[in-house]
Parts: sequence; C-alpha cells; structure tokens
Amino acid sequence: MLETGLIIRALARNKIGALLIALQIALTMTIMVNAIFMIQDRQQQMQRDSGLDEANTFYLTNTIFGQDYNIQAQLQTDLHMIRNTPGVVDAIQINAIPLSSSGWSMALQHEPGEDKDAVGTAVYMVDEHAINSMGLELIAGTNFTQEDIELRKDGQSTWPAKTIITKAFAENLYPDDWQSAIGKTVYISQTQPMQIIGIIKALQAPWNGWNGVERSMLVPFHRESKGSYYFIRTEEGQRDALMPAIEKALAESDKERIIRRVTTVEDTRKRSYRQHNATNKILTTVVITLTLITGFGIVGLAIFSINRRTKQIGTRRALGATKGQIMRYFMMENFIISTIGNVIGCIGAVALNMWLVNTFNLSPISFELVAFGVVALFIVGQLAVLYPARKAALIAPATATRTI
Amino acid sequence: MLVMKNINKIFQTADIQTHALRDFCLQVNEGDFVSVTGPSGSGKTTFLNIAGLLETYTNGEFLLDGEDVGKLNDNGRSRMRNQKIGFIFQSFNLIPDLNLYDNVDVPLRYRGFNAKERKRRIEENLERVGLASRMKHLPSQLSGGQQQRVAIARALATDPRFLLADEPTGNLDSEMAKGVMSLLEEINQQGTTIIMVTHDAELAQRAKRTIQVKDGRVSELEIVASNTDKAIA
Repeated sequence: MLETGLIIRALARNKIGALLIALQIALTMTIMVNAIFMIQDRQQQMQRDSGLDEANTFYLTNTIFGQDYNIQAQLQTDLHMIRNTPGVVDAIQINAIPLSSSGWSMALQHEPGEDKDAVGTAVYMVDEHAINSMGLELIAGTNFTQEDIELRKDGQSTWPAKTIITKAFAENLYPDDWQSAIGKTVYISQTQPMQIIGIIKALQAPWNGWNGVERSMLVPFHRESKGSYYFIRTEEGQRDALMPAIEKALAESDKERIIRRVTTVEDTRKRSYRQHNATNKILTTVVITLTLITGFGIVGLAIFSINRRTKQIGTRRALGATKGQIMRYFMMENFIISTIGNVIGCIGAVALNMWLVNTFNLSPISFELVAFGVVALFIVGQLAVLYPARKAALIAPATATRTI
Repeated sequence: MLVMKNINKIFQTADIQTHALRDFCLQVNEGDFVSVTGPSGSGKTTFLNIAGLLETYTNGEFLLDGEDVGKLNDNGRSRMRNQKIGFIFQSFNLIPDLNLYDNVDVPLRYRGFNAKERKRRIEENLERVGLASRMKHLPSQLSGGQQQRVAIARALATDPRFLLADEPTGNLDSEMAKGVMSLLEEINQQGTTIIMVTHDAELAQRAKRTIQVKDGRVSELEIVASNTDKAIA
C-alpha cells in the first residue's frame, strides 16, 4: 500500500531540505526547458535549406588591379573557361554569397512612390546560368535569357526590367496566392518597375540572423566591377579537386588580378553558424551540468536523509516493511518532491519564456517541450534516488533494536 | 508457539568469530509471558532479534506458529513479522515526523488493510493505551511513558500472536515503568504471548516465566506461574 499521505505529512514537518531540492528541480526545469528551446530554435535555423547545392558548390573572389582592364571581356573569357572545364556543371559571376554575412539588399513595393510599403530583400546579380550554377529550383515562371542580362557599372542606380524571386518572398508580397506573383510588376528604388518572371523554391540571403533571410531576388546583371565573386557548381565528388585547379587556371590566365578566398559553400555555412554552434554547446553544457547537479543534489539529500533515519528504516522493517516497500517509500518521497519542483518549474519555464518572447522576439515554447522537461526531471529524480533507496532497503531490521 | 532447537548464531568478521548463541533451545507456548534476563553480551538481544525474525541464525531449527522460519526468504520474514509479531523497543522507535495516529498506522499499511479498518484499529488501540485524545500529537509532545504506550498500541494494532519487548522500561522512570508493565500484564492476560528482555530483576519477576541467558545459552529456568510451560534445555 502506498504511503503517500504519510510521506507528505512527514515531509511537511521536515520541509527545508525537501523544499531546497524542489526549488533546485524547479530552477533546473526553468532553465533546462528554455535552454533546450533555444537550442532547438538555433538547430532549426541551422537546418534551414539555403536553396543551394551546397555539397557541390564553391566560390572565389576575383580582384582586378590592372589599369585599363577590359572587365567584360575577361569575365566572358573566365566564365567560358570555367564552364568548359571538365567536371564543372556551371558557373556565374555574382555580387554576394548566401550566408556569407555580406551582401546587398533592396526593397520592393507594389506601387511606385515614396511612403509606400516596401518589403526588404537580398539582391543577387547573376545571369541566366544562376539557377543551374547554384542548384536552385525554379518552381514557377521562367528563367532569364541571355538577352535579359544587362551590364552594370559601379554606382549605377538603374535596374533591369525583370526579376526572379524566392517563394518566401512571393508569399510575402502576395499572401493570398504566391503563384500570382508571376507577371506582376513591382517597384525597386521606389519608382523603377520590375516584372517578376520566375519563382525559385528557396535561396537564403547572406544574413542568417535576419528575419527576412528567406527573401531573395535574382536580377539579370553582369557587373563591371573590379571586385566580384565567381560561383561554381561541379559534378558530384569533383568539387575539392576542381577548387585548386580552377584557382590556378584563373590566376595563370591573367596576371593583373588576384584570385583568392576559394571557399566551399559548406564552409561558409559552418562559419555563418559558428556562433550558433558555440552557443548551443554552451547551452547544452549548462543543461547537462544543471541536470547533473540536480541529480547529485537528490542523491545527497536522499543519502543524508537515509543516514539520519537509519533506525527509523530499521523500525519500519521490523514492523513488516519489505525491502521493496522501503525502496518504494524513498522513490515515492522523491516523486512528491519532484512533482512540487516540476510544478514550480513549469510556471518558471513559461514565465521565463514569456520574458524571452517579449524581450528577444522568440516564439513561445511548446507544450511538448515542457512535458519533456517534466518527464526528464522525473526520470533523473527517480534514477538519482535509486541507489540511496536501494541502500535504505538493505538496512537490516535488527537496526531497530540497536541502542547506538 | 515458538520453538527454538539448537540455534547457533555466529558473527563472522575477517579475523574474529563470535558465538552469540550456542545450541540455544527454548519453547514458548501460547499465552506465555517470558522475561529474558542476563548480563550484557550474554546474547539476549541476539535471541530477541532471531525470535523476532529481525536477524537470521547460523544453524538450528526455529518454528514459529509451526512454520519453519529457516525456509522463509526476506519477504516472507517481513510478512511474518507484520502478521504475527509486535515489537516494543527500549527507545520506543516512534517516527518523530508522524503523529500518534500515523505512527500506529505504519504497520497497518504494510499489512494492506483498507482505510476504514486501519482507522478502527488505530483508534481502538490508542484508546486501549489511554491516548485516544492525543492522536494528533507528535511523539515529541509526549512523556517517555506515553511514547512507550504509543509503541505498544502500534505493536498491538496488527493483532500479533507474539509481543517482543526489548527493555521496554529501560528508558522510563520507575513509576512509568510500573505503568507500562501493568499494561503488558493486561495484554498478556488478554491472550497475547509476550517475550520481554530486561535488566530489571524486579520487573522480570512479574513475568510468568523467567529465563536467564549466559554465554549464548539458556543457563537457568524459573517457572513462576505455569507448570506446563518449560524450556527445552
């Protein structure tokens, strides 16, 4: 028969130790649930699809220092050479790299003019090879044609007449029907019209922490600039071998420029989320440490309590308690303390989350996560008390008759 | 009936072997009131522990109510303690965090009685020892004699066949000791078999039988009130 009532009344008369452990459980629960939530949030961010064929793409910077340099001619030569290199799928010149933390942004609006609502977007200046070079998926509309590609000089403020946008951006511009974006005219730089000719499934912006990271647009530009990126996609398994080969070929083909920062998109992703990874490791360490401290606290309190009650346990055995009943007594005692701790912890976890939501604009924690925290701490509590409870069960009934 | 034949109890450490009981023989019949005396270290507490199934013995034969105790496992001994034996300890061994009602409740819960039956037994036995009006008190709020009465109520609550008392008056002044002794005599008269270990010769004399333990054996037997009861020497 369970001794729940007796245990609760006994605990009520000896509340300090139990209360301290309950508060420790509550604190652990509060921090654990919110830390796991933050870890999950970061994990989800890190697992978002960039839209790129990351495993088979890399890029490099092309910095020209020569005077009277024919940028356009060299660009065509370079792209022709790279695209015709065995193992290369396609290549483009591009102004910014997704997830690299550095890029261009503009805003598009439905109507021309100042004071009109506009939606921010990352801008990638590319040619008709972009979809193939980046491994993007065109899900509606059409790609650029060679005729669409315009030359853009540094400082130029006019924009091409066509654009391809991401699905997320289309959903933002046309929430009722994202596919209706095809053929629509939007305005860039407040007044310049652009027609949306295509929608790609995904392409992340260069800034992973931006809440509009999924909003990107492709514009058909070749840049006449002394600094640009070449973005290259290779056949599967060819990337690592082609990286130094293409770097060398480019460098040797023209001595009036520097080819450097040959980097895989995978490395860029890793760098981009380095802080997320570090934070997650710290939070994981905090969660594990707190849980261990709580577990050890429970072990300590239980052992102290058992040592203090050795004679009492012997007396219970003398009165007919089996070893199992003694074990159950301490497991139940811990369960009651854990219940109190978990109830306070649930309130604390939700309260802390509400503060985080209001302060840092995080989303609310899920019921499942709170339930997970409760179950996890019950398991930790029961596992922690298992050894002391077993120790208590092994106290001989003859202890009851000992005078010391 | 309690029958011990040639019970030996040897405590073994790495280097030392201690014979606590040597070929210990005793028969206690139903309704007996046996006092056990003897000098310190004579083995009387070991005897009481074995008689109360608190401790196992090394060899010999021990029958309690016709059941061979040697064949019982730990759970079986626990069950038999709960069902057939009541304990009264020198230092009362009440649970300090529980009030009198809950203290008496402890063995009843191990027995598995329902709440109604437990309540009846608790109230009846606290009434029997004159403490029904204090059932919500904590042990620390009672005198030593009153605490021992609660311990007696707890021991009696399960209707045990045997009541084993370990120096039940050892921590009481003489007036309280007499009161507790009178209560034990009354309980015995109502049919409960009592085995009491005591140092107090005067109290020992009030039992129906007195046995003396020396060097782990029953060294002397005095039959006070019954000619039919005897020890197997």
